[in-house]
Amino acid sequence: MTVRRSDTGMVILEGACAVEDAEPLLQLLQETPAPAVEWTTCSHLHTAVVQVILASGVVPMGPCGDAWVRQWLAPELSQKGTRG
Amino acid sequence: MNALQEQFVIEARELVRQATDNLIALERDAASPERIDSVFRAFHTLKGAAGVVELPAMSIMLHAAEDLLAGVRNGTRGLDAEIVDTALACLDQVSRWVDDFEAVRALPSQAGEDGRAMAERLRALLPGRAGQQPGLTAQNSTTKTGGGSLPEWVFRLIAAERDAVVSRMPERPFVATAISYEPLAGCFYNGDDPLQLMRQVPGLLAFHIEPREPFVALEGIDPYACNLRLQALSAADPNEIAAIFQLVPDQVRIISIPLGTLPASDAYPTLGDHALIRKVIEAQCELLRVPDRRQDFAGCVGAAARAAENALRYGQLPHLADTIRRAGALALAHRDAGPLLSALENTLVGFAGSPSTVVADGGERPDMAAASTSTRPADRVLRVSEAKIEDLVNLAGELVVARNALAYSARQVELDLGGSEVARSIQRDRDAIDRLVTELHGTVLQLRMVPMAQLFGSFPRLIRDVARQLDKNAALVTHGETTEVDKTIMDRLFEPMVHLVRNALDHGVEGPEQRRAAGKTENATISIAASRVGDRLVVEVTDDGRGIDPAVVRRKASEKQLLPPDKLSALTDEEVVDLVFSAGFSTASAVSDISGRGIGMDVVRTAMDQIGGRVSLESKVGIGTTVRLDLPLSIAMSRIMVVEAGGQLFGIAMDAVSETVRVTPDRVSIIRSNEAFVLRDRVVPIVSLAELMKLPGQKRNATAARLLVVMEAAGRIAALEIDAIRDRLDVVLKPMQGLLAGARGYAGTALLGNGQVLLVLDVKEILP
Repeated sequence: MTVRRSDTGMVILEGACAVEDAEPLLQLLQETPAPAVEWTTCSHLHTAVVQVILASGVVPMGPCGDAWVRQWLAPELSQKGTRG
Repeated sequence: MNALQEQFVIEARELVRQATDNLIALERDAASPERIDSVFRAFHTLKGAAGVVELPAMSIMLHAAEDLLAGVRNGTRGLDAEIVDTALACLDQVSRWVDDFEAVRALPSQAGEDGRAMAERLRALLPGRAGQQPGLTAQNSTTKTGGGSLPEWVFRLIAAERDAVVSRMPERPFVATAISYEPLAGCFYNGDDPLQLMRQVPGLLAFHIEPREPFVALEGIDPYACNLRLQALSAADPNEIAAIFQLVPDQVRIISIPLGTLPASDAYPTLGDHALIRKVIEAQCELLRVPDRRQDFAGCVGAAARAAENALRYGQLPHLADTIRRAGALALAHRDAGPLLSALENTLVGFAGSPSTVVADGGERPDMAAASTSTRPADRVLRVSEAKIEDLVNLAGELVVARNALAYSARQVELDLGGSEVARSIQRDRDAIDRLVTELHGTVLQLRMVPMAQLFGSFPRLIRDVARQLDKNAALVTHGETTEVDKTIMDRLFEPMVHLVRNALDHGVEGPEQRRAAGKTENATISIAASRVGDRLVVEVTDDGRGIDPAVVRRKASEKQLLPPDKLSALTDEEVVDLVFSAGFSTASAVSDISGRGIGMDVVRTAMDQIGGRVSLESKVGIGTTVRLDLPLSIAMSRIMVVEAGGQLFGIAMDAVSETVRVTPDRVSIIRSNEAFVLRDRVVPIVSLAELMKLPGQKRNATAARLLVVMEAAGRIAALEIDAIRDRLDVVLKPMQGLLAGARGYAGTALLGNGQVLLVLDVKEILP
């Protein structure tokens, strides 16, 4: 399972998150009030998944396991997050 | 290439030609709805074809053109020169792409941008459509003009990440490229991962992602509809980036950024960098200006060229670097620093003028036309005005004259200093120059060669119109459209051809009833065939009409008293038929609108004579007539023989000379007080050139062989007696001018190597 909710209620992205993970992720985020997302063990993010994260306004926690996302996308997301 | 792609290439070229012809016709004639329809259909079919072979860039561009033409068709937009120009430019682009596609089965990497720019140009002409795609202003044209007119998002991208950009800038001068990628909403369904493309962008300096439309509340989001805009700044070449996005050219914009637009990095001031290059080049200039460097010349020039070349390469100015390298090689070969020095100085002028233009030379993608001169496969066309070509042809002609002068001097040297080192060396150089000049002249003349298709193009229309006027049915068949001929010849050929075709329709082709009665098809066929025979062009105009009846011609000729009755009756049927070319002959019973004013055929012969051509006619009663035009492929040069008679030199055009013979006095007999001799069973009259020219004849040794030039012209044969053959030359024949313009017997003058003016004889006029 590349997208799951942990016991503590945190949404966790693991391994290579493909296009089909976008919908389950969206569902989890919709179901969870004030969700938190963790992506340190995620090795690859598909654009569709990134779009869901972006639309939710959530700033995932910890350094992303996907090096490219960590360098180029994470700063963008955190800016969005702080801007609200 | 598979069958589909091959078919596309053929069809696309045909459609481009069709659309081009119709567009030009639209502009020339009134804008008829049929024409507009035809143009519209051609674009529409092209667009469809581009879609089939999956060339999205071409489809986008043609779609815009189609929209514009649809506007013209339904009257929302009037047709004007601007639309025609833009549509033609669009077709030119299609032609180039088709060539690319044929060569490498793909469009160039910048095709997406080019196509988009062209689409914008086309859309800009459509009222009300220009504003529909905000932000998509014609950025292709702005890429060259510097920072001021770049799209606003580029500045935002740079400004947002200013420090990051500076810190990531490479430690060398580089080309900066901005990318804006708006994936289609349905792209996820196609298996696209837009970020994956971004991940492939080399030399990334900045990245930005944003929603195209603000995101709605999470509940309303469709996770599989892409609503993103990805933007990036890269230190990679635009072409490299375009290659990454080549499957989505319609969704991405790639823009070159002039270096000055980016914030300067302290570690690497780009403009300062050019100052450094300038200093390096200036130093080389100084070095080269030091006079008298005989001993270490090669080392000095080689080092200067290398230093400057390296500096320019370092500065990402490969074109300039190549220029310098070539200049350096030239300087070494000639042991003269001049070429290198002037190339360096030119480079410096470029630097001094405007730094950004120099940057643009290497850093930016130049415009489409210039970008691909080196990479594009064959069939590229450069449009040069005819006047410039004419100048070049004249210069090359003068050069030939100068070469002849050199040959003369070389011979003088050979006579004076025969066998010496100097004579041999001059002879060697003369040979080299001889070869080069001949090659140059040939190449320059090639520039003026045009395919006969250009001439043939106007005849289908002519035949249709004339045939309709005469209530006849005729179709045109052409052969040899690709045969190339000098433009001057083609221009002079047009009018005679029109006469011939009109004559064929008027006099040759029978009316439908007559044809039926003769057992022929109602539809007559006129065929025009061009072919190259040796260095001559042969054009044949053939009709399958009634043919020319020698008896009728004989009667007409005697009625019009073209020839005395005894001469007329002595003529063979073929010679009689040839009389139709005589002035004042016309076989038409009534003077018609078409031809038959008694001038047609005679004009043809005169026109052919003027350009060194021959016309002949072959006709079979009831079967048809063929008129054969035999012309030189080019008229710029004439090959002449220089002969001496009565102490003077004369030129004789080589094409009139059939052979030169020496005959012993015993072969010469007197026939009716004229001298003559027998050559291969023909009696050839002998004429002394000195006597013809009223010059004192040389005392002839009674036993010595006599030198004769046998000439054939206008169906007559004669041998011109001369004292000596001096030379064979290629000359630019100048027509007689001024007071001499009316002098008979001369074809013109030519300048000889020693500056002497040579009179070239008009053989046809001087022969008895």
